[in-house]
Amino acid sequence: MILVGIDVGGTFTDFIYLDHETGKTDIHKVSTTQDDPSIGVITGLLELVDKGKLKPKSINQIFHGTTTATNSVLEGKGACTGMITNEGFRDIIHIGRHQRPDHYSIMQEIPWQNRPLVQRQYRKTVKGRLTPPTGYELEPLDENEVLRIASELKESGVDSLAICFLFSYLNPKHERRAKELVGEIMPDAFITTSSEISPQFREFERFTTTALASFVGPKVAKYVKNLENSLSKNNITGDLRIMASNGGVVTPRMVLQNPALTMMSGLAAGVLGGAWVGEKCERSKVITFDIGGTSADIGIVINGKCSETDSRSTSIAGFPLLMPMLDIHTIGAGGGSIAYLDKGGAFKVGPQSAGAMPGPAAYGLGGKKPTVTDANLVLGRLEPNDFLGGEMSLDVNASRNVVGELANKLKIDLLEAAEGILTILNANMANAIRSRTVQRGIDPREFSLVAMGGAGPLQGAEVAQMLEVPEVIVPISPGITSALGLLIADLKYNVIRTQFQSSTKPNLYRFNSEFAEMEAEIHERLAEDGLSSNEVHFERAADLRYLGQGYELRVGLGNGKISEKSLLTLWQKFHEIHLVEYGKAFPESPIEVVNLRVNAIGQPKEMIFSPFKADGDLKNALVQTRDAVFRLDGSLQNFKTQIYRRNMLPINVEILGPAILLQKDSTTVVPPNATAKVHSTGNIIISLEPNS
Amino acid sequence: MSRIDPVTGAVIQGALESIALEMGHKLMRMSYSSIIRESEDFGAALTDANGLQMCECKMSTPLQSGPIPGYVKNVIKVLAERGDPVRPGDVIMHNDPYGGASHGPDVAFCVPVFLDKLLIGWSVTTAHHLDIGALSPGSCGIVDAVDTYAEGLQFKAIKVFDEGKRNDAVWHILRANIRATELVVGDMEAQIEAAKIGSRRLLELVKKYSLEKIVNAFHDLMDYSERMMRDAIRALPDGEYCATTKIDGYLDDSDPARRELPIKVTLKINGDSIIVDLSGTARQVDDKPINMPLAGTVDCSIWLTIRSILLDSVIYGSIPQNSGLTRPIEIMAPEGCLVNPIFPAPVIARFCPGNQLADTVMKAFAQIVPDKVSAGIGNLRVVALSGLREGNHWVHMEIMEGSYGGRSGLDGMDAVDTLYANTRNNPIEDIETHIPVRVDRYELREDAMAAGQWRGGIGAIREFTFLDDAGFSLEGEGHAFEPWGFDGGQSGHKAHLKLLHTDGTSTSLPSKVPYFRVKAGETLVSTGPSGGGYGNPELRKKAAIDRDIADGLISLKTAKKLFPNQF
Repeated sequence: MILVGIDVGGTFTDFIYLDHETGKTDIHKVSTTQDDPSIGVITGLLELVDKGKLKPKSINQIFHGTTTATNSVLEGKGACTGMITNEGFRDIIHIGRHQRPDHYSIMQEIPWQNRPLVQRQYRKTVKGRLTPPTGYELEPLDENEVLRIASELKESGVDSLAICFLFSYLNPKHERRAKELVGEIMPDAFITTSSEISPQFREFERFTTTALASFVGPKVAKYVKNLENSLSKNNITGDLRIMASNGGVVTPRMVLQNPALTMMSGLAAGVLGGAWVGEKCERSKVITFDIGGTSADIGIVINGKCSETDSRSTSIAGFPLLMPMLDIHTIGAGGGSIAYLDKGGAFKVGPQSAGAMPGPAAYGLGGKKPTVTDANLVLGRLEPNDFLGGEMSLDVNASRNVVGELANKLKIDLLEAAEGILTILNANMANAIRSRTVQRGIDPREFSLVAMGGAGPLQGAEVAQMLEVPEVIVPISPGITSALGLLIADLKYNVIRTQFQSSTKPNLYRFNSEFAEMEAEIHERLAEDGLSSNEVHFERAADLRYLGQGYELRVGLGNGKISEKSLLTLWQKFHEIHLVEYGKAFPESPIEVVNLRVNAIGQPKEMIFSPFKADGDLKNALVQTRDAVFRLDGSLQNFKTQIYRRNMLPINVEILGPAILLQKDSTTVVPPNATAKVHSTGNIIISLEPNS
Repeated sequence: MSRIDPVTGAVIQGALESIALEMGHKLMRMSYSSIIRESEDFGAALTDANGLQMCECKMSTPLQSGPIPGYVKNVIKVLAERGDPVRPGDVIMHNDPYGGASHGPDVAFCVPVFLDKLLIGWSVTTAHHLDIGALSPGSCGIVDAVDTYAEGLQFKAIKVFDEGKRNDAVWHILRANIRATELVVGDMEAQIEAAKIGSRRLLELVKKYSLEKIVNAFHDLMDYSERMMRDAIRALPDGEYCATTKIDGYLDDSDPARRELPIKVTLKINGDSIIVDLSGTARQVDDKPINMPLAGTVDCSIWLTIRSILLDSVIYGSIPQNSGLTRPIEIMAPEGCLVNPIFPAPVIARFCPGNQLADTVMKAFAQIVPDKVSAGIGNLRVVALSGLREGNHWVHMEIMEGSYGGRSGLDGMDAVDTLYANTRNNPIEDIETHIPVRVDRYELREDAMAAGQWRGGIGAIREFTFLDDAGFSLEGEGHAFEPWGFDGGQSGHKAHLKLLHTDGTSTSLPSKVPYFRVKAGETLVSTGPSGGGYGNPELRKKAAIDRDIADGLISLKTAKKLFPNQF
């Protein structure tokens, strides 16, 4: 059984494979081919096959992370999209929640007004109205009008269509009928409905999500089809699985049906990879901390699981996105983040980044602004002649110059300025982690921080210290954790139904019949994907709030028949979660069940990697000893620092900080007063408390 | 001169902002009524011991966080006058519109923060409550209150917790005197909880860095914000710039002195400071609640408009909102006029006049920085729908959006909240699920666009059909006067309101409607205003005109009328 993970990033496409029989694994990297990323995917995959002497036919499964949908939205390049909606509501996606993105700005633009997903001329309305609480038909759908509109839209060149009616989450009848009718007129168009894409209340958000799916639909379809064709042309016949934002993988058929599923998938794989590394080190609570050039992604993983966000917190390019999505917090802070003094003279780091071009001044590619990478170099925390495994050398003088200019403006010492850049960056990151832990009743001191991405292991230890997190785990290949995450991702199907039931008068029959219907729907989808029900297990949950509140909290529910007793447990659990999340519960208040959810998740795979080989010793691993600067007890000091080559380190031998560990895809900093050890799994564990 | 090193300053600033965000996040998520959780009509901020604002929650609406320093200063003053010291464990409720509050329904809960025995700051949340016990249901559209007493309960620095002990009497009085009790009390509990969180976090921060460092960092931050504002003002030419607009007043009133009331703004720019002189504004209306509290409404309206123009966050990034930002601005408002009423002149319906004041300030700035303003905005309206169901009141408030005028290089924003308000509408699917009302229309007006090189934003039409016998009340502006066009741009379009009866007839209504009974099946139709045009319509690009025609926003016939040179 051979599994391959392929992750398309902005700059590189990463590959990893695992042979289950032998435990053999290897990684590979090629430049991402921007125009058609499937070209880079195939080229790299063939190189990987060649390198590992694999038979194309022997690859059983390919797990793929794609940014096609994401980029299409970010760049505003998508289909000529149309919408059919209710009479009287042509402008729901234009008016939005009538709120401006910025409080204090006259000259701002509003994404959904200045960059509409569907232009008003292609938004058409028809008679037909459903009403709550059951989706009762107040007025029938005007089918002739639907047909007339479809012909008109076809005539105007619309090739993708979103059908969005009010209350369709209660009753999809009108949307389904309209889709059938339009399909007759526009057989080649991408047509979807809001009840298929995201059947939950809040019309602006649901319609926008559906419009996003339609906007990217044709492009994603083309990409997936190209990829499937190229794979089969090259005799690679294994199953293709595509990463979704919910942290699971889905079949190409599902992506073609709902392209919005992949909108935020890039982030999800990284968290899975980090979670897996934590599990291998037998840590039950980890914070995954993935820092690239421009951003840092933070995930909280408890017992191997990262929770999904509530449905009101996700957006892409300013548009709300109602999609199941792992709860990942992204901030604009990374290795390329630029340090500057703003107009009022305040010292700031990021969110602007020097990116890969021109990059930090240290790259010598014309970067003139001081970045986080430059600060690390000035402090001696990067090895100028051993960056990217020696493929690139860094210009220390260039870094000193740009950081020095900033220091002059601040009227502080060069080293103080360099260290200040890191402190501000680290504090921003620590605040972001606090918002996901301390502010939700979670104590970060019980966690391990998994530092990933090119820059994660550089900052990880100091950020952990700010949060009193006791240890940092640095994976074997920190730069390729997303591809690793793909490899271990399970299938995941989500089904959701909006309820609005109250705890004062719960309708048990309705709970049970809805769950049964939802599970039947998943069985149907599994069958369409050619999978058997044995390949998944079901997880139920409900989104609850106190009657009157506007935000829900997700509470898990056991499988089997819902009884009075299981509801009592559900209410009790909600009070408890509310208390943890907000610091208070209102046990006297009635509770409203807003949504029911069923997830079907693939059975976890046993991943067998060959045992980690570590026959190195400390002496051979030592590259040199030189000065590096750290702050200790409030003052900046020069420390004699050991520089080691990571892949030559022995297992379980204590390395005293300060030390710097070099490897091709990252650099690990072990600060003074910390110790590091290579774990038997090959991951490095940095302890920030004195060993007893 | 900095009091603290720039790195620690930046770190403390981030920590303060993150505290205010957490307060707002939790308040919004815990609260019950849609006016807080959906409309986001709430505020959260920390102040120092004297009521100088340290930070505010970026999620909250400007008109809620802005007044917090005023609330705190008045609470301190009132308690001192009473000889009642502030003690640890106190939670103080305050809503006095003549004592810092923006108006009565905006109730603050103030938690003093103590480091051992030393008062070091205040953690405060404010929120607009559904009902505050006024003469008719809901807390908006009380346009017939004759004085402050008729506007509802007044809480002047009342300790709802006294050294940690709940003052039950206050809560009993409150429960007996307000409608939709459960929602309002639930929201107040959420406010108290969020304020306590802020207090706890501030204390943690002080313990981590020392009080001295926090105070120093905070004073540096105020200086920073002040410096930004002074630099921006210094770049403007000295001089006096004057603008006037008018509010509707009571259009159906027989007394002309209550109709068409002028608001006059004179900006006196001198070096790096501005005096905003409001002389020439209409006298107060003694027995109608459209007067504006000077502290809490007038000051915030002016401050927010000036920072949105001179330090536009899209151009300048986010500048800490604190008391430093307002130091260079002095406000002069003659006593006894609309913008500085004398107690007990009623003020509860000050929302729309306050936004008109903001618009007038912008109109004055248009003469100085034409590239940084919009033409006249379409003002807002607020409606309360209410009724009785099984003996309990239901109340639903909805803020009806306006629109912006055209801008240099940009058309106006369509159908949004304007200037000092930035709330959110309620999803139709939420409204219809929870109250006996059906929404029959929510879309842009057609053929109501102000021409200009950059066209004005377009207002929205909303229709609410009542499914039970019920009532509504409404406060609004913009029925009598068109939003101003700028630099050759056309004036905008007025707002309208009418009630469609079940027999097919209709009644046209003014912009202020006190509690009005409606029957099941009647429909309230609200037509929102369109903002003014910017620049000569002859200069508008033909492609932009064609797009608006294709989009159905204007007909070809109207387009030919508005842009004759292009056809």
